[in-house]
Amino acid sequence: MPILLCRVDDRLIHGQVVVGWGSHLGLDIIVVIDDELAESEWEQDLYRAGLPDAVEALFASVETAVELVPAWASNAAGAIILTRDIGTMRRLAERGALADIEVNLGGLHSALGRERVLPYLFLSDEDRAELKRLRRADVRVSAQDVPSARRVKLDELLEMKAS
Amino acid sequence: MAALSRALRLRLLLRSLLVQASWNYRTMQGAGLGFALIPALARLCRDDRAELAKSLRRHCGFFNAHPYLSTVAIAALARMELEGVDSEQVERFKRAIVSPLGSLGDRLVWARWRPLCSLLAFFIFLMGAPWWVAVGVFLASYNAVHLWLRVWGLRLGWREGREVGRALMGSPLRRLPDRLTIPLAAVSGAVVPLLALALGGTAGIGPLFTIGIALALAIAGYGRPGLAGRLAVLGLLVGSLAFVILGISIW
Repeated sequence: MPILLCRVDDRLIHGQVVVGWGSHLGLDIIVVIDDELAESEWEQDLYRAGLPDAVEALFASVETAVELVPAWASNAAGAIILTRDIGTMRRLAERGALADIEVNLGGLHSALGRERVLPYLFLSDEDRAELKRLRRADVRVSAQDVPSARRVKLDELLEMKAS
Repeated sequence: MAALSRALRLRLLLRSLLVQASWNYRTMQGAGLGFALIPALARLCRDDRAELAKSLRRHCGFFNAHPYLSTVAIAALARMELEGVDSEQVERFKRAIVSPLGSLGDRLVWARWRPLCSLLAFFIFLMGAPWWVAVGVFLASYNAVHLWLRVWGLRLGWREGREVGRALMGSPLRRLPDRLTIPLAAVSGAVVPLLALALGGTAGIGPLFTIGIALALAIAGYGRPGLAGRLAVLGLLVGSLAFVILGISIW
């Protein structure tokens, strides 16, 4: 099981991912899939600066990631895939990169047009539409911020009232 | 200009001390960051108060860093604003710098330096120093590094601006937490028998009490991976050794 976690989190690399999930799962490499970040070296340096030495970070565009996901999946190194938004994950799914991979919604935070569904999950109408597209593409999706928290499946999540 | 920018940096540094003063769950240190940046933004906007309000509002959104290292972001943002970097890049910078500053500061300060200074002060107290000496040692040693971190961060952020990530990656700060592990374990190990002797001496159950604490530490650390486990086991080793030496010299 080389892809340990496939997560949507707008903070990308941070403590909850590296320590919370990483030490729990045996993390070696974090793959950030983001078209803009893949082009921006100074931002990559910033995200890398917070990582412990044992963990490597890789930045890829959706285009590159579609080709490389099978290689990461068969690699011995344990990888966590991160995207900033649900849309990027949906694009990966549409290109067939997420077969047999469950998507974890780990953190989308307060912003204009987003309503709170779970303490760590704020969804806009567009986010909900993207989630439904993921469901139509037969991708398993659930929400869970840290390993010790309850996992909320997509159907239940979409039923939840915003508060 | 050099003298002016020195005065400006000093104001940024002093304002950084209040970065958590209006902490809240929605924007965390957002308002603190905006407040700290006011001298730089005011210089940029001169007399245009509407413009100042607009740029201040941009910097009062979400922000969260380790408070002592917030100066890295404050100085880099001040420089980017003064150089006229466009606001979209500034926002991307803010978004990306939150996590490394948090992780570096948490590992160094909360997980190492603060416990090390507290235990050191406790050790000095148990060795017989008056309480105010122990408190003084704690405040002086802890805040020496605290203030040094703020100044260090300000200089680094000011010098590197947007490219500060590369400098952070190569900085000695990343290795420092690992280097402090053994000293921290040694001090906690030295405190255990002293505490046991101090408490046990009044109750007349010294040796038993010491063994009890040592066992509790061992049980707490057993099988726990990572820092807590290593610390407990190392502390136990050093503590037992100190206990044997102290025990021999007392009996």
